[in-house]
Formats: sequence, C-alpha cells, structure tokens
Amino acid sequence: MPLSMADIDEIVVIKRISGSDEIKQHLAELGFVVGEEIHIVSKNGGNMIVKVKDSRIALDKGLANRIFI
Amino acid sequence: MEIKIALAGNPNSGKTTLFNDLTGSRQYVGNWPGVTVEKKEGKLKGQEYKDVIIQDLPGIYSLSPYTLEEVVSRTYLVTEKPDAIINIVDGTNIERNLYLTTQLLELNIPIIIALNMMDLVRKNGDKVDTKALSEALGCEVVELSALKSEGTEALVKKAIAIANANKLATANEVISGEAKEAIKKIENIIKGEVDEKFLHWNAIKAFERDEKVMESINLSESKKAEVEKVISECEKALDDDSESIITNERYNYITEVTDKAVIKGRKKGELSASDKIDRVVTNRILGLPIFAGIMFFIYAIAMGGWSISIGTAATDFTNDVIFGEWVPGLFDVILGALHVEEGTVLYGLIQDGIVAGVGAVIGFVPQMLVLFLLLSILEDIGYMARVAFVMDRIFRQFGLSGKAFIPCLVATGCGVPGVMASRTIENERDRRMSIMTTTFMPCGAKLPIIGLIAGAIFGGSPWIAASAYFIGIGSIVLSGIILKKFKAFAGIPAPFVMELPAYHVPSFVGVLRATWERGWSFIKRAGSVIVVSSVIIWFLTAFGNVNGHFGLVDELFEDEAVVTDEYINELSAKMDVPTTEVNSMDASLLASVGDAASIVFKPLGFGNWKPTVATVTGLVAKEEVVGTFGVLYSYDDMDGAEELGEEGEQIWDRVRADYTPIAAFSFMLFNLLCAPCFAAIGAIKREMNNRKWTWAAIGYMTGWAYVISLITYNLGGMIAGEVAFGFGTIVAIVLVVTLLYLIFRKGYQPKGNEGLEMAVKINA
Repeated sequence: MPLSMADIDEIVVIKRISGSDEIKQHLAELGFVVGEEIHIVSKNGGNMIVKVKDSRIALDKGLANRIFI
Repeated sequence: MEIKIALAGNPNSGKTTLFNDLTGSRQYVGNWPGVTVEKKEGKLKGQEYKDVIIQDLPGIYSLSPYTLEEVVSRTYLVTEKPDAIINIVDGTNIERNLYLTTQLLELNIPIIIALNMMDLVRKNGDKVDTKALSEALGCEVVELSALKSEGTEALVKKAIAIANANKLATANEVISGEAKEAIKKIENIIKGEVDEKFLHWNAIKAFERDEKVMESINLSESKKAEVEKVISECEKALDDDSESIITNERYNYITEVTDKAVIKGRKKGELSASDKIDRVVTNRILGLPIFAGIMFFIYAIAMGGWSISIGTAATDFTNDVIFGEWVPGLFDVILGALHVEEGTVLYGLIQDGIVAGVGAVIGFVPQMLVLFLLLSILEDIGYMARVAFVMDRIFRQFGLSGKAFIPCLVATGCGVPGVMASRTIENERDRRMSIMTTTFMPCGAKLPIIGLIAGAIFGGSPWIAASAYFIGIGSIVLSGIILKKFKAFAGIPAPFVMELPAYHVPSFVGVLRATWERGWSFIKRAGSVIVVSSVIIWFLTAFGNVNGHFGLVDELFEDEAVVTDEYINELSAKMDVPTTEVNSMDASLLASVGDAASIVFKPLGFGNWKPTVATVTGLVAKEEVVGTFGVLYSYDDMDGAEELGEEGEQIWDRVRADYTPIAAFSFMLFNLLCAPCFAAIGAIKREMNNRKWTWAAIGYMTGWAYVISLITYNLGGMIAGEVAFGFGTIVAIVLVVTLLYLIFRKGYQPKGNEGLEMAVKINA
C-alpha cells in the first residue's frame, strides 16, 4: 500500500518507489530507498513528516502516494 | 601559494557556521535547509594562513543537482576543483550524509571529513568510532562542534596539510559487483578522452547517463553507443535503472562502514523532543491557527498599540523625544554657535531636510529591531521550515508549492535575499512566479510605511500591521491562482519534499547578531541613500516659482506683494488644499512636478502631490517614503504657533489631517505592493536573467498594486461612507468582476509534460 495510508507512529519498510524521474533520484539521495525503514511522525491532510535514516523529511501527498510499503 | 579549501556538505549541516568561525565573517546562518544560495569566499583568520581561501558552498545532497542553488556547488567542486575539500558531515545523521561523501571521495581531490554536531551526538547517546570511520573511508576524520567552535583549529591545520601534500583518499571501492565491472568497461572506452585523474569519476557519471558529463567528455558516436550498450546490459542483468544501481551500491557501502563505526544510542521508533513538537505544530487542525497566532503576536509586540508592544513604545520615544527634542535641539545649539540663523537656507537644509528626513526613518529602527529579533528567534528555533510544510497544503490548492513560502519568509527581512531564495524552487515556471510575487511581502523597509499609517491614522492598531502581512500572503496566493491559469505558468508544481531541521534552543549571540546585521544595514542606508534623497527632496521643496517669481519659496511667501489673495486661491484650487492650509511648499518645484504626476493616483484616493512624490521616492528605498513625508510635513507653520520640537507628533497630526483613513490605507497598500526598490528590481533582473520577464514582473506588481488600491479605496470608501458613488465605483466593480473571472475561470490546461521543466535543466 502507499505510504500515505500509513498511520502516525507506524514504522514501515519501503517496498517500491514508482516513477522514474529526477524526483525519484532526489528521494533516493534523501534516504528513500527500497528496504529502508520509515517512521511516520506527523500527518497533515495527506502531507506527512517522516523519519528516514536519521533525518526528518516533509513530503506532500502526491509523493507519499508513490512510495509503496 | 594560494590554497583554496571548499566546505561541502548536506544542507543545514553547519557549513556557514564553520565558515564564519574560520574566516571571522558574518554570513547569515539560519536553521533550515537552503539558507546559503550563493558561494562565498573568505580568507582564513590568522597571519600565518593569509594565503588560505575558504569557500562556503550551498548545501547539496549529491553531485547531481536537483535545485538551482545546488548547481553552484557542483560546478565549483567538479569544474573549478579546490585544493582540498572539508566535507562536513552531520554526526547525528551519518548514513545520509555519507552518501555525498562517497561521491566526493571519487572526485580525487584531497578531502578531510569534519564530523559536526558531536555535542549532540554525545547527548543522544550515540557513539562514533572516528578511527574506524577514518580507516573505512580512507581519509582523515576530525570531530567538530562548529557552533561551539570546538575542534576547528585542528581541522584547519589538517586540511592545509593534506592540500599541501595533495594527499588523496585511499578509499575502498564504493561500487562492487556487476556495476563495478560495467564501470571498468566504460573506463576503458573513455580512456584518453578525459584526464586520467578523473577517469573513474567520469566513468561513473557516464554510467548514470549524466548529461553534463557526457557533454564535457564529447565522445564519438560509436563510443557513445558502446557506453550505452554496457549500461543497458548491466541494467538488464540487475533489473534496475543505472542511477538506482549506483545509489544502492553507495548505500550498501555506507551500511558496511557505519556497521563498523557507529553505535546508535536511541532505539528505532523512539520519538525525540523535536518529533513531539512537530506533532503539535504541524497538526492538521492546529497547524494554521498556531502560525496565525504566532504572527499576530509578533506584530503586536513589535508594532501594536498595547502595553506589551515594546517596539511601539521605543519608536514613540525615538520619534517624540530623541528626534522630536534632543536632536533638533542639539542642532539648534550647534547651528546657533556657528551663527547659522533660523530661516536661512543652510538652517532649513539641515533641520528640515536632513534631520527631519533621516529622523523620520530612524524613528522606526526600534520597532524593526524588535520585529527582526522575534523573527530571528523563530528561524533559529527551526519553526519556519515547518511553516513551509503547513502552508504547502494550502498553497497546493492554489497551484503553488509550500516551498514558495520560503522566499516570502526571507522577504519579510529584505526583498533582495527573498528573490534569491527562489532558487530553491524546483520548477522553472513556479520559480519565475515566485520571483514575481515574493516582494509583495512587507520587507523591513516597508515597516516604516506601515508604522506611519498605523500610528498616524489608526491609533497604532496592530491589525494594520498584521493585515499588511496577510495582504502580502493573500496577494501572493491570489496571484498564484490567476497566473497559473495563463499558459506561461500552467502546470502542476513540483512535489514538495524538504528536510526539516531539528528544533534547538536559539543561540543568544546568533539571534542578536542576525537582528543587528539587518538593523544595521537599515541604519547605514538611512545615513547614506536617505540623507542624499532627503537633501534633494528638501531643495526641490525649498525653491519654486511663486506667482511668477523664482526663488526660496519661504522668503517669497513673506512678501505680501507677491503672494496675493488671488494667488492663494489659485494655488489652493490647483493643489487641492483648503485656502487656510496653503503654505509655501505648495508653490515649490517638487509640488508642481508631483502635482502633474498626481493625476495617476487620483483614482486611488491619494492624488495629491505629497504622497505622489513619496511613492516615487519609494523606488530608491522604501523607507524613503517616510523620509519624504518627514521633509514634506515638517514645514514651519506660517503663524508660528507651533514651535519646532514636538516634530514627531506634529508630522502624525499633519498626516492625519491630510488623509481619510481609507485613502491612507489605499496609499499604504499601493506602496506595499507596487514595484520594489531598485535593489530588489536588480535582484529580480539577475534571477530572471531575461529582460522581458523582468519587465513583466515589475509591470505585474505595479498593476496589481494599482488595481487592489483602487478597489479598496472606492468600494471600501463607499462602505465607510467616505467616498461617494461615482465613476470610480463602477470601475472598481468592473475590476472586482474581472479579478473574480480570472480567479475562477477554467484556465489553460497543460498538455503532457508541459510546465514541468526543472529550473536546473533550463538555467544550469
């Protein structure tokens, strides 16, 4: 399921990131790679703040929909 | 020999803090990613190091730029090649930071790793074995706390040593397996086409299909095909695209390194204090009210009219006492001692020109310092980055990205860095739109305008100041909706993804310094640009043509033979002032020029020569609007009943007498929203890098200001009972309908990938 469906405080593992563009590469540079654990810190109408590796990243709904867990 | 050392690292890892510490400069440091958008050079402190140049670079996540400011760093590191790199690694987030390190190691430039924020690492209970890390990476690792300047000395000595010795890292190969084989093959193909030293790096980039590098190698068509064949074979074998293959290889390598060298103190999934705060302030329901509340509170303290309003109290004191009594009194004494009599040209120039003009501007410094102090604290804590996140949800509904909020935020200090901050916006069309609309925000220099109108007309109501802020945001949002429907701006904004910094207790010195830097630049301008403009304004008001006689208007007005009742009536009709209020200044050169131009502002309710002149001088610097008011309203009353001395209040009283509330508000709106000062226009020109777009931006802003002021004056005035129904009302209604149409029409629908151009691709 997409990351956007995950609940606050859940810890999930990335299975796949859809699409192939600059953004996918940028996400990878920020630490979003397959097999990585994500901790959901906060949600705001589909936009979310997550922890990946040791950084805190804010994502919008569209991106959260492209990350599958 | 000159040695160049570059500071490279992830955004918000403390490069600029280290840079300031090493060079003794005072570059602006903020707690959000993307504060530095330009490279900055400085000489290393200390006599023995006078040949060492330190280069501060914008933060980057990798050597493949994603936003425009990252291009600066990549170009410097890859093409200009410093003698050594200090790679700043945020110790609290080693894994992600090492991703860039693996790329920097491949550049074959001497490199040293500065493990920053070690104080926080220890506090978190993490352990980093620097020796193991250094062995695994094949280069030196130094512990550092840039904020507390711990370890900087040792770092610099080692960096200079490796630069002098040209000591390269002896890294184990980051990339392994099939990808390694493929890169070897590419190395063989491109051998001879590139510098041997950078063969490995070029081969990896070729494997990733990096356009810039492929261009620079300039391979023959057959060789290009060979490279492409190697890449696609490897992609097929590993069932992934080449960029992802390399990314995975890098992360695998990093995991190996950190397994050996890093022990985490905190369990996974444990919430830090920052996370708990984020739960509240980015909350779906509370996020926005919290932000609005904080902004209102800040403006109330800085510019409100309440007992908590420290800023207003200090400004009142400066206006009424310092520039009302002390300074004019002091100058009276000095001028008296020099036998410069009241009524002479020199006396007028100094007291009515310089003291009044500069005083009117300086008076607002206390308010500004308070506002800047509070905003600096918010930034330093790390809250402002969250606002971008909270605003994204709203901005996105209107076709804007939350990232567009960062330039707006910076622009509350000054429009010039605000316009430059637009470089962090990924999408080219959105970036242009941001440049066009960012200066709608009330910058520091516009605060005096707000302060003057709020103080003189509205009894210091904090709502005026807060409304200025929300009118700025509102204009940006509405412009976003309207512009997005035109073909030139259509398209979905780039997805919002942004790293949020950890909250920290604001650094006392840092906040005070940031506040002072902003305030000081304002004071410096008051001492230069504002003095010059005030003198010019005064000269133009002192001389003029009174009933056919040219000369000092004050003297000519004393002459009953020249100033006939008939002439007074004529002047009063021409300048639109009551006969009892006509004074010498209305006959001045400036008045006739201003009067000719004032017709433009008639529909906005302030078509009088004084505000017209003030508005035009606002192009020099926005604070000059108030400076001009200071000169124009400081005339000696003809009956001499009021002594010079309570000047501050006098100006306010006189301004109040001249404007109805709605006309004053319309004047404020126009000056807040119209074309910014020349400095900001220059920044717009640089960032647009295109004459047509620069003019479009200036034209749009001025047009928007005109329309909004016209509507506000005519419709608002009618509701308040100040303006009668007339032609203006009809025009205002037509404009409202047009605006509504532009906002709600369907607009241009982009086809396919139209409008998704990355700014990096177009401008790099």
